[in-house]
Amino acid sequence: MGFKEYVGKRILQGIVTVVLAITLNFIIFRIMPGDPTQAMVGDPRMDPETRITLIAKFGLDKPLLEQFVLYLYNLFSGELGVSFVQIGRPVVEIIFGRKLVNTVILMGSSMFLAFALGIIVGVIAAWKHGTKVDLSSIVFSLVTYSMPVFWFGMLLLLLFSYYINIFPIAGTVTPGLAHANFFEYASDYLHHMIAPMVTLAVSFFGGYFLFMRDTILDVFTEDYMLTARAKGLSDRKILFKHAMRNALLPMVSIMGVHLTYLISGATMTETVFSWDGLGRLIYDSVRDADYPVLQGIFLMMAILVVMASLCADITCAYLDPRIKEAAE
Amino acid sequence: MTLDTRVKTRGLLRERVSSHATRVKDFWAIYKGSRLGMVGLSLILAFIIIALVAPWLAPYHPRALVGTSFLPPTEKYLLGTDQVGRDIYSELIWGTRISLMVGVLASAFAVAIGTTIGLLSGYYRGPLDSVLMRITDLFITLPNLPFILILAALIGRNIWNIIFVIAIIGWTGTARMVRSQTLSIKERPYVEAARSIGARDSQIVIRHILPNVFPLVFANAIIGTVDAILAESGLSFLGLGDPTQPSWGMILHYANEAGALATGRWWFIIPPGVCIMLVTIGFAFSSYSLDQILNPRLRKRRW
Repeated sequence: MGFKEYVGKRILQGIVTVVLAITLNFIIFRIMPGDPTQAMVGDPRMDPETRITLIAKFGLDKPLLEQFVLYLYNLFSGELGVSFVQIGRPVVEIIFGRKLVNTVILMGSSMFLAFALGIIVGVIAAWKHGTKVDLSSIVFSLVTYSMPVFWFGMLLLLLFSYYINIFPIAGTVTPGLAHANFFEYASDYLHHMIAPMVTLAVSFFGGYFLFMRDTILDVFTEDYMLTARAKGLSDRKILFKHAMRNALLPMVSIMGVHLTYLISGATMTETVFSWDGLGRLIYDSVRDADYPVLQGIFLMMAILVVMASLCADITCAYLDPRIKEAAE
Repeated sequence: MTLDTRVKTRGLLRERVSSHATRVKDFWAIYKGSRLGMVGLSLILAFIIIALVAPWLAPYHPRALVGTSFLPPTEKYLLGTDQVGRDIYSELIWGTRISLMVGVLASAFAVAIGTTIGLLSGYYRGPLDSVLMRITDLFITLPNLPFILILAALIGRNIWNIIFVIAIIGWTGTARMVRSQTLSIKERPYVEAARSIGARDSQIVIRHILPNVFPLVFANAIIGTVDAILAESGLSFLGLGDPTQPSWGMILHYANEAGALATGRWWFIIPPGVCIMLVTIGFAFSSYSLDQILNPRLRKRRW
């Protein structure tokens, strides 16, 4: 299979998955007990005029199949309905705004931190395979993997916000504080971000570390490692230039799928730290039964994960031609 | 069937059973040597015992309002009381049952779904394989926490629904693994032999393929238990647990809602988390050791 064919096939698979996700999203909110229109307009908080408009727009009084067609049509024109709670505000406006930015900043930075640490510690552990260093980092990573991420966040808060008061207890910036300039704003924001970022990074670290260590151990058995040694390269060069580079590829390929776990972790962490992001929005919407918003976030995240794993796969296939052969 | 063949069949069966027994014995001999594995196993056993003897360990009924709210730890209430005056220590002891039950059952369901899909997909290939694998892709892609939150919110908060929603997102890894194993086992000579003497598909799958994938499926079930227990605690923490059952995640939910953090009520926060962590560490350590034994990659450095 050539590279182009592989990419074409993967994109097609991605599209099928997205279509399935859209269909599932349509179905689960309509199999709920009671009135099937409930998920869009069945809330007493909604004012009657908006309700009538939405019923017409989404064809909620029509047969299911027709509803599905209208649903798709509205979806592609960027119409996801109106929030039950923030009365009259379109879902799209709620999701694609400040909350998205906050989540991307928090998740991006903690993912980067965990990824970098996982790689470095993974290389070292594999290098010291079987020693105390190796064993203790395995134990540490298994413990972080087993820890409920929200509880770790609560521990940090208890320790650093209650006993030693160095981190703020909640939010993204200090409420009511007028920031003199951008720099002041940024430092206030960062100050609020440290604890949730550490929480998330620690919870992601275990997975990345174990995977990296395993991959490096596999790389060590390859012939080119022997060649590198025969050429008389130093340990450091062999380790960081040859072993690490070859192990990075599988790391990139798991990142796409890994995104779903990151989203779960972010939801918990944002809830504990009252971080004003999409994760917190998921929690609030579940609590307040704000179904239109939930549908929107769910769909956006599914599409995001499909795209991320698609990009990861294509990058890997481009860098390593063996992958696309293994695909079938 | 003559007496002779019956005796022979029985002999073969006995051999089969005894070879299983030696395999288990061999496995145990290796497993005993793994310190992590033994720590994990002891933790799991300890919590199983706590769950079994909960009525004798817990001084109060977990739902009973026994004191005023937010009491700090005293001799009467070992870990204080929660926001409505229930004994936290008793809730923790009883919560062991919920955690273990949800973890083990959800993981078992997930693995059963995954194994079935993997076997069907790998054995029959063709269009069935394509359809099943696209569905698997979909479930891998679904952002799992939002998905279970939505499902749990829609179908209602009771313990069986929670087990169901956790199982429904946890089967994909097993399905993919069983499929690829089935693909390779299917080509082995003894499967060919079985097919050539006219064994039915179901016989081949159940008698020849399933026993060979079972060890890996079992390892998946163990790590799946970690994920399931964490998922249950997460759901409960977010307020979607079964309100009629004492669950560790639920205690943390109330602690968070009642502002235990801002008031420094550590006894409301630390013990439930430690419990969750110890159980999951038990399963994670066991799973790690299992993996080391079942995937003995001959890793020799080439230099």
